Amino acid sequence: MKNFYTKRYIPKPSRREYFTIFLLITEIIIFSIVSKYFLTFKNLETVLRNSTDLAVVSIGMTMVILMGGIDLSVGSALGVVAIFVGWMLQANLNPILIGIVAIFSGTVIGAINGLLITKTRIPAIIATLGTSNILRALIFGMMGGNWLTGLPQVFTTLTKGILLGIPIPVFILTVFYVVFWFFLTYTSIGRHIYAVGNSSEASLLSGIHIDRTRILAFVLLGSLVGFSALIYVGRLASVEITVGLYLPISSIAAVIIGGTSITGGKGSVVGTLAGVLFIAVLKNGIVLLGISSLWERAVVGMLIIVSVLVDLIFSRRAEKMRREQLFFQRTQFLKQNIQERT
Amino acid sequence: MKNFLTRLLSNRMYFLLILLVLVIIVMSLISPYFLNLYNISTMTRFGAVLALVGMGESLVILAGGAGIDLSIGAIISLSGVLFGFMVKFGLNVWLAAIGTIIVGAILGSINGVTVALLGLPPLIVTLGTMYAYGAISLVMTKGRPISGFPEELSFLANGNVLGLPTQIILVVVPAFSILQLIMEKTSFGRWVYLVGVNAEAAQFSGIQVKKVRFSLYVLNGLLAGLGAIIMSSWFMASRPDIGDGMELSAITVAVLGGFDIFGGVGNLIGTILSVLIVTLLASGLQLANINTIWQLAVLGLILLGSITINQLFAQVTAEKKQHIIVKKGEQLWKK
Repeated sequence: MKNFYTKRYIPKPSRREYFTIFLLITEIIIFSIVSKYFLTFKNLETVLRNSTDLAVVSIGMTMVILMGGIDLSVGSALGVVAIFVGWMLQANLNPILIGIVAIFSGTVIGAINGLLITKTRIPAIIATLGTSNILRALIFGMMGGNWLTGLPQVFTTLTKGILLGIPIPVFILTVFYVVFWFFLTYTSIGRHIYAVGNSSEASLLSGIHIDRTRILAFVLLGSLVGFSALIYVGRLASVEITVGLYLPISSIAAVIIGGTSITGGKGSVVGTLAGVLFIAVLKNGIVLLGISSLWERAVVGMLIIVSVLVDLIFSRRAEKMRREQLFFQRTQFLKQNIQERT
Repeated sequence: MKNFLTRLLSNRMYFLLILLVLVIIVMSLISPYFLNLYNISTMTRFGAVLALVGMGESLVILAGGAGIDLSIGAIISLSGVLFGFMVKFGLNVWLAAIGTIIVGAILGSINGVTVALLGLPPLIVTLGTMYAYGAISLVMTKGRPISGFPEELSFLANGNVLGLPTQIILVVVPAFSILQLIMEKTSFGRWVYLVGVNAEAAQFSGIQVKKVRFSLYVLNGLLAGLGAIIMSSWFMASRPDIGDGMELSAITVAVLGGFDIFGGVGNLIGTILSVLIVTLLASGLQLANINTIWQLAVLGLILLGSITINQLFAQVTAEKKQHIIVKKGEQLWKK
């Protein structure tokens, strides 16, 4: 049965996302004025290639943060999967099989996180901090202090390949972002993720299976991490002991800078893509300007705080406007009532 | 019997004491060198910084509002680096030490301003400051350790007073007793608990919630600065990555010590007991020649296990309370 009186709700990117895109564009303009190497095809391709795995993980992180959670274990999870991939590459297995195993093992890690958080009611940050520790120890144990180097370059085409004159990362990012944007905006499960993030109680009362939605978000994040482990191994052809150490923080930074609210329920993958590119371009620009790359983390850290501040200002303004509107409506209503009575 | 067991286990202190005894028994079974008074007192040296930072983190968590401080490790690194620079530029060591504590408090107050006064989410802000402080200490030292501390500083971390490690007797014990006194006997301590239990009620009863939370972040930074001095004296150098991973251990210790992650519940004695457990476990593993890397995994497992137990007991006690309330209601009804 179709209700003709309700308009279908189609979410659009909010002003906050346009703000990040605007920042990204100004950043690009500034860097292309300052450095003549910035706006070359080769440089831009490098920027894109080096941030593909971050961009893919950040999609999953967006979903988890949207639903009101957080995952600090993505870096160690990526490391564990990358070591699996490295071993399988050394054993010369079929690349498709390797891909399936990688995505599957990422999914398993995500499922463990999701189950821990929903079944034992451990807060997401603590649970993933714990699993991150355990997985990090596992990485050390699996590698035994040696790096995996000189791996066969099977997955290199994922990052370095060029199809029809366009680098393959462009295709990967387009496909992933369009699919997940569609998933989050137009499917009911995607909307459930937003609903749970906005108010888990309200969504429980309206019949959404909260636990299942939460587990799903973590599982999807896990499988995306599994896929980006393939990209990582393809990009570097080696796995070092510090693999993915800064991945959780970078991806959280990208999501937050992209305008997703840390308390959940607001944001989109469009903003996240802008956030990822913003951080990637910034890193590249810092190197091009000849500033010590040690500064990079400091700048990202400050950016996180600034963007949360911007978020706060936006939300306070919106709340104020809403309150004023409500007040206006009420006074109108009262006036009408009074007029009718007299 | 079952009743007795649940009572024993649901009291956090008994639970931690049993765990401590268990750790000591298991470790002395694994390694014959473990059970030795001298050995154990030396091992507590390793736990001094963790105890300080763990107490700070516990109080930040206690005050609620999703309070957490991920930047403690970075505060230790940065204030340690500044300590190194101050000594290098010819300042007296003890004056420089006071300066370091002040630096720690200032770094903590930056967290406090953004979290408590502006109302930004603590998790993200301290993640950001963790990034920023860590990077600043790397930039300042260009990644190299600063050495050149005078010999007298070594006394703090490697010396003995009355046969016990100096940093325990002169720093940790006084800090713990002062904090415990503040928490139990002064109105400020009670405010912290009330703010953690119900910030709104606290606000309405005239407690300045923002100021209480702010001062806890400052206190946390101050304790981290103190920890930085001990760390520098331990290595006789200040490294820019000295505090890496400290935030994780601090949170683990606080949660294991019985602090509810949502605030309002916990006691500093629990923190100290869990610091003992964690340090004895870590150094015991080292004595038993088990790779130190597995400490990370053990820490993670303890964290997950302890918080699961926390949640389970919280449920049990909540059910019990409800049961008691229902019973009382029935009695009243009968009257």
